[in-house]
Amino acid sequence: MGAYLRLEVRRTLRDPGFVIGGIAMPVLMYLLFTHLGGGQDAGWRTASMVGMAAYGAVGSALGTGGGVAEDRTVGWLRQLRVTPMPARQVVAGRALTGSVTVLPAITAVLAAGGLADGVRLALWQWVLTALCLWLGSIPFTLLGLGNGYRLTAQTTGVANMVCNLGLAVLGGLWFPVVLFPPWLRTLSAYMPTCRFAAIGSAVTEGHLPPIGAILVLTAWLLVFGAYAVLSHRRGAGAV
Amino acid sequence: MMKTPGTHPAVSFTGVVRTFGAVRAVDGVDLRIGRGGTVALLGRNGAGKSTAIALLLGLLEPDSGTVGLFGAPPERAVREGLVGAMLQDARAVPRVTVGELVAFVAGRYPDPLPVDRALRSAGIAELAGRRVDRISGGQAQRVRFAVALAGNPALLVLDEPTAALDVEARRAFWEALRADARDGRTVLFSTHYLEEADAYADRILVLDRGRIVADGTGEELRRAAGGGLVGVDLAGRTASRLELLPGVRSVEVRGDRARLRTDDPDATVVALAGLGAIRNLEVAPASLDDAFLALTARGREAA
Repeated sequence: MGAYLRLEVRRTLRDPGFVIGGIAMPVLMYLLFTHLGGGQDAGWRTASMVGMAAYGAVGSALGTGGGVAEDRTVGWLRQLRVTPMPARQVVAGRALTGSVTVLPAITAVLAAGGLADGVRLALWQWVLTALCLWLGSIPFTLLGLGNGYRLTAQTTGVANMVCNLGLAVLGGLWFPVVLFPPWLRTLSAYMPTCRFAAIGSAVTEGHLPPIGAILVLTAWLLVFGAYAVLSHRRGAGAV
Repeated sequence: MMKTPGTHPAVSFTGVVRTFGAVRAVDGVDLRIGRGGTVALLGRNGAGKSTAIALLLGLLEPDSGTVGLFGAPPERAVREGLVGAMLQDARAVPRVTVGELVAFVAGRYPDPLPVDRALRSAGIAELAGRRVDRISGGQAQRVRFAVALAGNPALLVLDEPTAALDVEARRAFWEALRADARDGRTVLFSTHYLEEADAYADRILVLDRGRIVADGTGEELRRAAGGGLVGVDLAGRTASRLELLPGVRSVEVRGDRARLRTDDPDATVVALAGLGAIRNLEVAPASLDDAFLALTARGREAA
């Protein structure tokens, strides 16, 4: 499993699309957002930093699915099925790959905030924010994997984008939840993106991650995990 | 754990059927392949070869019947590292070097070949540092062979290993396979090239329309297809009477020469002599091509 993880991380880091889209883009967008207009306060810079790190993490996490769809298209997953490596480990290894490859995005945006933009947090807040963003992205990795194992390389890209936008809007990352009608506000509270963002902002405001958010994200982890395993069973052999 | 536990055959199919919609891709196959030796699965395109191999590797489930590898379900034999496979239509794995790929696959098996040995056996030792997606098609084919070989498996399965290779590359491939010949390794390859099956397999299974229509050495298949070919010059005679001679199954006329496909060349020649029709007589055993055509044509008539 460790060997599979090393192999796939290495392959991901050799992908120019990942380096640009998964690392450079979130940093640029963060710097753009916090430097346009001027007069932004520290609170906005911190919130934007967490938001963009989360955005980059969710994008990279979903992007893992694109790599999986590619692996299916070229027959690599089929080849893995005739090695002694169990199917469970292939899915788990890919999920771990996804969770490793979100780290550059998180680290880069937090570094830009702390070093270039003067965001000031206590050491425990930095560590906990990074940790929460990292762990919180795992459900999104599994969602991307579920798409990648099920769909073609092209449709995976589209599906990941739709998931990314849909979850972001429904989770209140684009428009504040207070603007939603009550039923949508209730729905929003159960969106993984809503809780993912809530954890990040709680920590930067000096609180511990809310237990409710952790529970909701864990539930999504199980749902998306099951989706990934089912998609793997269905999709990997059918190429 | 022993590499190949027990004394079960390497491969066994019992009444295996697999359909895709209305197509019976594998239509009631029973077969046993003992350990060691090289077996060819011969058939034209669409005969069911790849489906049979996918069933054998556990990539597909049969609709009915059972498949066993070393007495276990295919998934278990694969899990235990008894199987290495070169799959058809696989493309290069992007963004990985030849050495990384082969080393990774070797590392999944309990008793692999050293990586440099696997690379050397496949004739690609000098490519270890190159990216798999940046080498030629023939080289990529050899990489896939090295991947199949890397785990030092008891059963090596090669699905159309030389498809899309030119003549020179094909020859080099078979030389590499021969050079590897590990004691006790069972090799099963599929092909639609008769000469390959005849030259490199100890046993040929002919698959047509999802059924095994013949099973034996090249020599046995030739014999089973019936007698041989008798050629004579017509010297102005009509060929129609020749069809009535004993043993003759068909007559083919080219210019002034008739070729008689016969079940009993001796009787045919005696009858020709009786007619005084012996001119430039030639008697030859049926070629494997003839045997293959006869065997698969029979299946076609029955269907």
